[in-house]
Amino acid sequence: MVGLSLGEKHFIQGGIAQDIRSDGRKRLTYRPINVETGVIPQANGSARIRMGATDVISTVKAELGKPISLQPDKGKVSIYVDCSPTAAPMFEGRGGEELSTELSVALQRSLLGGKSGAGAGIDLSSLVVVEGKICWDLYIDCLVVCSDGNLLDALGAAIKAALSNTGIPRVQVAAGASGDEQPEVDISDEEFLQFDTSDIPVIVTLTKVGRHYIVDATTEEESQMSSAISISVNRKGHICGLTKRGGAGLDPSIVLDMISVAKHVSEQLMNKLDSEIAAAEAGEDES
Amino acid sequence: MEFVSPEGLRLDGRRPMEMRQIRAEIGAVTKADGSAVFEMGNTKVIAAVYGPREVQNRSQQINDQALVRCEYSMANFSTGDRMRKPKGDRRSTEISLVIRQTMEACILTHLMPRSQIDIFVQVLQADGGTRSACINAATLALADAGIPMRDLVTSCSSGYLNSTPLLDLNYVEDSAGGPDVTVGFLPKLDKVTLLQMDSKLPIDIFENVMQLAIEGCKAIANYIREIMLENTKQLEYRRGI
Repeated sequence: MVGLSLGEKHFIQGGIAQDIRSDGRKRLTYRPINVETGVIPQANGSARIRMGATDVISTVKAELGKPISLQPDKGKVSIYVDCSPTAAPMFEGRGGEELSTELSVALQRSLLGGKSGAGAGIDLSSLVVVEGKICWDLYIDCLVVCSDGNLLDALGAAIKAALSNTGIPRVQVAAGASGDEQPEVDISDEEFLQFDTSDIPVIVTLTKVGRHYIVDATTEEESQMSSAISISVNRKGHICGLTKRGGAGLDPSIVLDMISVAKHVSEQLMNKLDSEIAAAEAGEDES
Repeated sequence: MEFVSPEGLRLDGRRPMEMRQIRAEIGAVTKADGSAVFEMGNTKVIAAVYGPREVQNRSQQINDQALVRCEYSMANFSTGDRMRKPKGDRRSTEISLVIRQTMEACILTHLMPRSQIDIFVQVLQADGGTRSACINAATLALADAGIPMRDLVTSCSSGYLNSTPLLDLNYVEDSAGGPDVTVGFLPKLDKVTLLQMDSKLPIDIFENVMQLAIEGCKAIANYIREIMLENTKQLEYRRGI
């Protein structure tokens, strides 16, 4: 995938060992994050995140649906990722499908909680309109426009930004429907409810290269990794999901160490992201 | 349905011979060799070009010219209703083919034998005229990649509704059932490289409608030239010349 010579590989590995990477960053420093919100007007909410050359778009569309019978008090959220061939020629045709699925599942694991719907980063119960009958279905569609490593963190950030940009129309339910009847609803065109995004976790991926681990790896650095752990942490410091990738095994004590580092990094990322989102929203209101 | 009001205004407030607002930007995809964003009103597409490079599939290699390939894809969120499409449906295959043929006609392929040029277009928002927008974006992306071309091919559509020729149809006008003429045009050489029309139209009116689309192409070509000049000035400035 990435054509690197032996010298380049040594340079990357040596740089990481000495805490100064090829682009001058330290091991635990992120690239500058650029957030743009409201980029896709026909969606309920959208955001575009750029971290270095990595460029992703996330959109949220809300549709009225029926809650599943096992969880009558919860709405439904589904996350799909699509890798555009513009990001890399290898995504052409069905080439991007494998990575797309891997990313979608990892995001669902990090943000949506278990099968029961408990412990989800996104508050599903706020999506219910009439218990057991009507709820909002949120479709989160992400598109990878340009890829330079660390896609999962960027996608997680983009979803968070898109959800904070999302306005869900206020719904009036006509009274009088009883029993099994589906009640009639009136969707408002003017009133929108903002979504509470303060509890949505951020995803921090730690990539292990040699004996050290780094955050926000570029494609070149990712090609040198032995394994990577993606941890989603919310504002309270709780871990909401975890994914380990890569072939090499990890010592359990290292895993625990990586988790505590990720928790520490996530606080900085969360604050940085919040201020960027607020700045993007303010910029959008002005224009 | 009334598509042109008695005052001579269209549904979105344009005059019949008025184009939607166009906006272009070079270099949207950092990793690609050349890339561009092109917007026509609410239609927005990204094009990325990779190449000329080694042919990936040896059996497709052509010994006396470059192999040009194109893929058109639509994002799930690009249309009003969310769609979950299978990749490579017939419509996108056809549009990929049209774009490939149009671009191949203007690239000087004989200068790059045994190599491959990939053009990827991604629709972010679809509001009619995606075909035209994709061709315009691809032209800019090819120019950004520094690929030798005969001319800057541009494309624009026109239609005929309520006995009025209309330039640059949006989605509502496009789905009204009237004729939709898409023209690809080489402005310097004054040649038409792409011509498609659905539905029927008397010949004398067709002439006017096609002429209108060609005028649209020329206007877009001027705009594209401006954008490229601006981009080159920026590059020059950054190099400190």
